[in-house]
Amino acid sequence: MLKERLNLLFTKYDPTIQTLISEVLTLEQAYISMERPHVKDQIDQIISRLAAKEVENIGDGNRRLIE
Amino acid sequence: MKFERITLENFRQYFGRQRLEFARDKQRRVTVVHGINGTGKTSLFLAINWCLYGSEYVNNVGELISKEAISRVNTSDYVDMAVELSFLHDDGRYIMRRMRRGMKMIDGGVQPISSDEFTMIRVHGDGQSEPIKNPIGTINAILPANVRTYFLFDGEKIDDFAKPESAKQVKEAIYLVFKLETLERASRHLEAAASEYRRELKNTSSGELRTLIEKDEKSRAELANKEKRKGEVLVEIDSVRRKIADIEQQLRDIQNVRTLQQQRDRIERDLKLRRTELDDIVNQVRDLAVGAYFTLPTSVINKALAILDAKREKGEIPSNIRRQFIEDLITRMVCICGRPFEEDSIEHRRLLSLIETTLPDSLGDDVLEISAALRMFESQSIRRRTDITQLMRRRAELVDLIKDLAAEADDVGRQLKDSPLEEVSNLEKQRQNFIADIDSYNMEIGGLNRSIEELNKTIAQLDKDIIRARKNEQKEKLLSTKLYLAQEAADAIKKEYQTYADEMRARIEAKTKEIFKKLIWKDSYFQDVRLDQDFNLEVIDQYGRPARPELSAGERQVLSLSFITAMSRISEEEAPLVMDTPFGRLSSQHRANITEQLPNLADQLVLLVTDEELRDQERANLSPYIGREYRLVFDTRTNYTKITEI
Repeated sequence: MLKERLNLLFTKYDPTIQTLISEVLTLEQAYISMERPHVKDQIDQIISRLAAKEVENIGDGNRRLIE
Repeated sequence: MKFERITLENFRQYFGRQRLEFARDKQRRVTVVHGINGTGKTSLFLAINWCLYGSEYVNNVGELISKEAISRVNTSDYVDMAVELSFLHDDGRYIMRRMRRGMKMIDGGVQPISSDEFTMIRVHGDGQSEPIKNPIGTINAILPANVRTYFLFDGEKIDDFAKPESAKQVKEAIYLVFKLETLERASRHLEAAASEYRRELKNTSSGELRTLIEKDEKSRAELANKEKRKGEVLVEIDSVRRKIADIEQQLRDIQNVRTLQQQRDRIERDLKLRRTELDDIVNQVRDLAVGAYFTLPTSVINKALAILDAKREKGEIPSNIRRQFIEDLITRMVCICGRPFEEDSIEHRRLLSLIETTLPDSLGDDVLEISAALRMFESQSIRRRTDITQLMRRRAELVDLIKDLAAEADDVGRQLKDSPLEEVSNLEKQRQNFIADIDSYNMEIGGLNRSIEELNKTIAQLDKDIIRARKNEQKEKLLSTKLYLAQEAADAIKKEYQTYADEMRARIEAKTKEIFKKLIWKDSYFQDVRLDQDFNLEVIDQYGRPARPELSAGERQVLSLSFITAMSRISEEEAPLVMDTPFGRLSSQHRANITEQLPNLADQLVLLVTDEELRDQERANLSPYIGREYRLVFDTRTNYTKITEI
């Protein structure tokens, strides 16, 4: 399946990044027939949820951009 | 996606309910629907498209509701049309139904009475079903509307991809089918999200909390120092006061100067009392001064009272005759003397003119109230001015008195200091030094109090700022993580995108070539099929030259078919290939080749064909793969098509 093939592209990345890409691709695919889909808020919700989980899990172990 | 069944209800030529099962075995995966022109092959093709994607994708095809069904209802009656399609996808079974209800009009036409009703359910393995909340999003995730033309295609337009001007269409097809468009959009939207987080992060000042905490610590340390010093100074003052008291006692004990010291004791007591009284008076003056605004509008009040008094003296306010009294006389038509009068008589007219000149009774009362209030202001103002004047006079007396007492005390001090008795002189000198020390200490205490007050204010503000900065820091931490995730994901997609796109392009190129060589009968003439970086689909002849401009209509169709089936294979999407009249323009050699190869190029194949398209050889080629076969028969007596399984 193409979806699995796409997910395989990102296996070398951090699991949270993989989850983020997978969820955003699913969202984009659901709106692919629209020329200008309004997905900004939904993408922000996905990122916020994963970021909150990251902050909770890693405490102050903020990474590259946070340091 | 594998089609399972379609049920048509009053859809174009299909009157009533008609059903068709699709072949979906691993071996027998081809469904063939035969029909001569006008029997409903394209209508069946449209029914699949309409059910999956709605009216937007079946425009300009005329009325969808069966004319036979319309003819059988009365004007203003409803007529329903529906298509139900069930399919298998990802271990799940889906059933979707799109329904339209119309009302028959006087002219025989039909008016839709609402938008199409679209429902979709998913049936689980255990037979339980659940409605799909977002059916459009779900179908887009399975087979997007803009990809449908590469799987459900019209045979007459099949050569579109092979035309010389078709690079854009080829590119679009690859972008959509291989989700390159999805990747691009995801990358773009994640990048936009990262930019927004970066902007927000700039506004949340970094390191502010640390700076504020440092300032707070510094201020608190300084406050502690000042308070400690204040305590020390107060102890010092207490100690010096005790020393002064000792000296004064010693002076009292010395016979020759006792009287002087006792005189000084009395002066000091008196000074203390006067100073207390002076402080009290200063406070009283301050309190009265706060209410001194009463004195400010005195001239305005006086002017207003003068105007009101003048009007009252003239008898204008309040009017000397009550309005109600005049109105009563007019109602009773009786003069003040008791004599009746008639309408429009001199008395009547006089009373009417009086009504016009008198003021409403309430206005007179209002004016009286205002006058009283203004007089109250005036009396308060006068009383306050008098009070302040008296207090200021007493203050001046006290200042003079204190000055005299202080001079008297200085005189006693000088006498003691100049005493011929050395002991007395020394004691007085010490006393005066100690008093000077107390003055210095008091100066210092004043400075310390001001600093402590300022520091307390600063610390209170810092505490508020720290609470705010703490909240900002939590927000900043979350924002930084969001930025990291969004940027990292966008970068990852960008990084992998080109590799993936190149790989897909190369695989489609190879697969298209493989299929094309199998389908085309001049396979030795056409040497290669290329799909370049700009997605131009090109056929190279045996001379190494681009041959696409010279391809015949049939050869172009074969090239398009090769490209489409290659995409279907490479994408690994389990989508059926539904082809409406695919072989109409092909010669027998190509038809034979295609029917031989096509079943191996799709997991499920639905062919809507005329008898001419599928002759003996083609049918023989397809025969091992045909699982279901139908004939569409249009009955001229009933005016509708029946689907008959062969």
